[in-house]
Amino acid sequence: MENDELIESFFEDMRTKDQNLEIPAFPKSKTRSINWLIPVGIAASLFLAGFLFYEKEPEMKAPAEVIIITLEQGPNQEQQFKITESTYLDTWESGTSSLLTEF
Amino acid sequence: MDRTSLQQLLQSHHREAYIWARQCCGFDSDLAKDILQLTYLKILEGKAKLSDPSKAKTWLFSVIRFTAVDELRKTGKTLPLDEDYELVDIPEEVDYTDYDAIIKLLPSMQQQVILMVFYHQMTIEQSAEVLQIQLGTARTHYARGKKKLKELILKSQTEANHGK
Repeated sequence: MENDELIESFFEDMRTKDQNLEIPAFPKSKTRSINWLIPVGIAASLFLAGFLFYEKEPEMKAPAEVIIITLEQGPNQEQQFKITESTYLDTWESGTSSLLTEF
Repeated sequence: MDRTSLQQLLQSHHREAYIWARQCCGFDSDLAKDILQLTYLKILEGKAKLSDPSKAKTWLFSVIRFTAVDELRKTGKTLPLDEDYELVDIPEEVDYTDYDAIIKLLPSMQQQVILMVFYHQMTIEQSAEVLQIQLGTARTHYARGKKKLKELILKSQTEANHGK
């Protein structure tokens, strides 16, 4: 036991001296932020690629005006075309509807 | 064990880990810093895995020691793993306050067992696990190391008392 006391005292003194040792700072982990950035980077790249390569389909827009051409009988029994412009079509008659009504 | 828990574990043992790394490489502070960095990398990259969290300190000390052995081998400073040559002679003058120098006078395996038991408050069984040797072999290193260290301490104290 005497031996142990001598040695323990030696190590106690050694530990006291080591209190003055300069301990390096615990390293900050950088790999964690890299791991986090990888999926974000991939997602951003895919989004950008999709945005650049996406082609918009041409939209079919209705014409602003409708041209209505009708064939009417004039005062001298002659046939004449009447062309009118409108923003909407409230009635529509098939071009062959006369075949159904006149026979 | 996830990465955050591992980091917390390493941080809680950081001071002791650095001191052990320094003791494993002949008290070279710069080399100890490199060894510690490499050890942390090994652990955080999953190259060294902790299977039993209750033995965290033993495991950490073991990883540090084997990293130190590898680094010393690379730098040309070899460290015997299991040999225990009794070739170290006690010098004429021993300074009691130069603790590192006194420890370095012991053979490598004796140094490490004695340091783990007396400095780091570990058991001989734990030191055997760190060194990956049989318990009986660790006990032999412990007994021989203690005997030799006592001689060195007494010699240094005698010299100090006689004012040499």
